Amino acid sequence: MSRFPLVEDRDGQTVVRIPLTRGLGLTPLQTVFAFLGLVGLFALPFLAGLVGLSWERLFRGILFGLAAVGLNLLLRHTELVSFGHAAFFGGGAYGVAVLAAHYNVSEGLLLLLGAVIVGTTLAVVIGYFVAGYVDIYFALLTLAFNQVLFATVFRSGFFNYNDGLQVRIGGDRPTLFFLEWTTLGYDLVLYYTTIVLMLVMLLAMWKLINSPFGRALDAIGQDRTRARFIGIPVEKYVWLSFTISGLYGAFAGGVYALLRLHVQPEPTLYVFVSGEILFMAILGGFTTLVGPLIGGIILVYLLEAARFWVEYYHALTGLVLLAIVFFMPKGIVGSLPDFNAWVAGRVREPGRLQEDVRSATAAVREGVDRATTTVRIIVFGVK
Amino acid sequence: MLEARELRKEFGELRATDDVSVRFGKTEGERVFIVGPNGAGKTTLVNLLTGLLEPDRGEVVVHREQNGSTVERDITEMAPEKRVKAGLVRSFQIVHVFEEMTVRENVRTAALSRHEKTLSMRSRDDGHGDVERDVDDLLADFRLEGIEGEIAETLPHGDRKLLDVAMSFALDPEYLLLDEPTSGVATQEKEYVIETIVEASEAESVTTVTIEHDMDLVKEYADRLVVLHDGQVFREGDPDLLETDPDLRRVLLGVDE
Repeated sequence: MSRFPLVEDRDGQTVVRIPLTRGLGLTPLQTVFAFLGLVGLFALPFLAGLVGLSWERLFRGILFGLAAVGLNLLLRHTELVSFGHAAFFGGGAYGVAVLAAHYNVSEGLLLLLGAVIVGTTLAVVIGYFVAGYVDIYFALLTLAFNQVLFATVFRSGFFNYNDGLQVRIGGDRPTLFFLEWTTLGYDLVLYYTTIVLMLVMLLAMWKLINSPFGRALDAIGQDRTRARFIGIPVEKYVWLSFTISGLYGAFAGGVYALLRLHVQPEPTLYVFVSGEILFMAILGGFTTLVGPLIGGIILVYLLEAARFWVEYYHALTGLVLLAIVFFMPKGIVGSLPDFNAWVAGRVREPGRLQEDVRSATAAVREGVDRATTTVRIIVFGVK
Repeated sequence: MLEARELRKEFGELRATDDVSVRFGKTEGERVFIVGPNGAGKTTLVNLLTGLLEPDRGEVVVHREQNGSTVERDITEMAPEKRVKAGLVRSFQIVHVFEEMTVRENVRTAALSRHEKTLSMRSRDDGHGDVERDVDDLLADFRLEGIEGEIAETLPHGDRKLLDVAMSFALDPEYLLLDEPTSGVATQEKEYVIETIVEASEAESVTTVTIEHDMDLVKEYADRLVVLHDGQVFREGDPDLLETDPDLRRVLLGVDE
């Protein structure tokens, strides 16, 4: 049997898939995107400068995006909205900082392992308490746990209050693979190590969401009662997925600490960060695997670059969120198939472009009309 | 045999089930129908038996033949999902299916649970041959093969009801408790739904406990009848009671004679 291209039959539909791992494959278009994405990721340190982007900032975007990929396991499958995922990102970051600053652990990979253990342990503990809750209670509980952690770190001398901890051992940055590096070398080795591990994590997540366990999480998200009555131990599975979800955040936070070499509570552990991680998933498209990652890159860049463009940059991000929810509820990556279909349709029948313009103008006019009527009613009352 | 032993459940002032004692599955594959007016405690009884509700007092007991003798097992404290694994499966009056999944995925998810595969994170959900064979059989038994690729929420009501029951059968039940499997189904399709369920349960000798309001269906299919009234067992016995017992008619029809 030839490996390329593989035609497979899934649930009565015949699809072409390029196999990537046992039993899973990509459509040809997805393969093109995946290839471009990989090339982009590996060339990023060299490409970014050429087009005037900050590579370090993109790297940070990738890290927050990876945390959002973790959060998305809950959001997309168990349909639980966590407002507390900064706890695991920050937990991972502080895991690195504490081990370096207080215990003189100098190897970066050991620090990273520590980060994953600390962050995941937090997820195990918090997950135990929140797994039985849904909807607003789940959201509020995760937020509350996050806030408790933040306040503790913020007020504690062990974590050096708001100033945070340096990830330096006697003034030196950690080693990577037990070697000392120059500043640029350190960043590059850290970046490529992270990218390789991240690809493994993405692949693992992909397998997970297509596995029986992934289907069980879908079942829990879509109808908890029914899930229980087909024999799924709901709380246990939510707890487990919460832990896996937190592990992704912990890893990302650990790398963040190794990259910044300085961990403060506000950029890593504050509840606003939780909100941002959630927004990244929605911005990029929470119905897709890599959407949250793209969302992370875009949002971090937007948040930091916007302050140089406009005065009210916080309002700008708010406006982006509004635009996404109103016009692109599936997010950027999630909307790609629709966009593709639209382009293909217009290429076939260019005449329909005029229709699109007409219907768009009509929609705007109707919106304006409704708004003016409302304003008139508010000001002058109903006639 | 499944036994409710003096099950009591109160909601505030209301005693929904008032020390109900009743046994199901006295013979293998027995078809018991629970009837009674609204508010008689039928659904509460099913909820207590399946673990959706905890009783205020009383026990749920399963009797099982083992080495020639009968062993009793008290499952009152057992979690619903564990009861499912022990063979006690239910459906709901309102259809509970996984709305965003296809028909096949719905049945598959239940079958994966039955085969203890739901903790597998590395295999593909449709990659288990034994599970897929079960799913094929069930889709055929419930005549859902033609629509296996449809999303559950787009199905007509009758098909959703059948899908719901098919998922219950995917769990290989010993006792199946069906809360109004024909509610909301068009009159001419009710017979078809019940007939399909009866066929499947006979093939697997599943004991069924069905809440039903349509007395014609009850007369036709019941082996035994349990009549609940005001949270108590009012009558229990042959479905002929519906014809011969004047008190029963009074209770069920709410008419004084």
